[in-house]
Amino acid sequence: MIFYMKFILALSLFIPGLLQASGVTTGVDEQAKLPYWQYQNEAISIRFIQRLPDQTRGYFMARGFSGKHAELVANSCVFQTIFRNVSDKTVPTQIDYDINNWQVISKDKKTNIKTREDWAAEWQKLNVAMPAKLAFNWGLLPTTQHYQPGDYNWGMATFNLPSGRYFNLTLTWLQGNKQHSVVLPKMQCAEDLHLDPEG
Amino acid sequence: MCKKSFIKYGLYLVLILQASFALAGNTAFNKLKQPFTAAEFALKDIDGKLHRLSDYRGKVIVLNFWATWCPPCREEMPSMERARKKLLKDDVVILAVNVGEDEDTIFNFTGDYPVEFPLLMDSKGEVIKNYPVMALPTTYIISPDGIVTHRTLGGREWDNDQILNELRAMQKKSPDKK
Repeated sequence: MIFYMKFILALSLFIPGLLQASGVTTGVDEQAKLPYWQYQNEAISIRFIQRLPDQTRGYFMARGFSGKHAELVANSCVFQTIFRNVSDKTVPTQIDYDINNWQVISKDKKTNIKTREDWAAEWQKLNVAMPAKLAFNWGLLPTTQHYQPGDYNWGMATFNLPSGRYFNLTLTWLQGNKQHSVVLPKMQCAEDLHLDPEG
Repeated sequence: MCKKSFIKYGLYLVLILQASFALAGNTAFNKLKQPFTAAEFALKDIDGKLHRLSDYRGKVIVLNFWATWCPPCREEMPSMERARKKLLKDDVVILAVNVGEDEDTIFNFTGDYPVEFPLLMDSKGEVIKNYPVMALPTTYIISPDGIVTHRTLGGREWDNDQILNELRAMQKKSPDKK
């Protein structure tokens, strides 16, 4: 009996680690019809969905950006991000992240995600109009965020890489008081496709 | 026998504790660790009517920050309207502050998402700066005495019974109602 209980206890300690290691999935997002990379454990779910450069051009030009400025964003390797605190109310867990701690590795070079603050400085220099700046700011994934159970948000993440480039993304976050980390391997920036109207 | 009873009662205890935690933590809104006084504002709705936050003192206020381009914001709008209808007899109001968009954009939006609660325009993003909002939609619950007590991040089904009952209970807890 004692052996059995020890076995159950060991298994219960081992299973979360196993899930953590296997929590990365990839596929095609049902709504966007574009590739996604996702990590999920018992408390967080984060999905990065490719955005086509043309989608981004159209989106920002409709919100007051000039073609030139929309091009800057469109060529920055944009992903739609959906971040959720999925912890059960029976085991409520707070999640905190800071994008500045996430690491992008492409061709052996380490970089960071371009944040709201990085872009705000750029738009300031380029004299971008206020409505466009506001839409951009609120459209991007927040640089830091605190999620309680049931909380979630959407936001664009810009990786500042050329279209078609492969990279690994290391995510870190606080789950309760414990730091977690996971690598999303072989993510790919969307190709800048210009379809031939002749087909 | 003694060991078996020990394990059996231990398991009961674990189940009881889990159930108590479930009930204790099972609230629709996340309570703020540090409640704060709601920042006063005066904003026009899309019909040009001016709304001051202080006009609604004495009521529970559901203060929602949103934008038309934000998918979860759009998704929760119909349930907010259904909640408004269900809360007509209660002292609970919904104010939805649009961030950074113009009157035409919001007006067009109401063609697809008709609502009767005030859609306020924070076109220059001045009001949202006074609240610790990091992403849209964010919704704050303001007590009848003007204190921001709860927050939700992301959309919710506002007309579910649990949410409606919690909003009604907050109104009943109001110091004016005691």
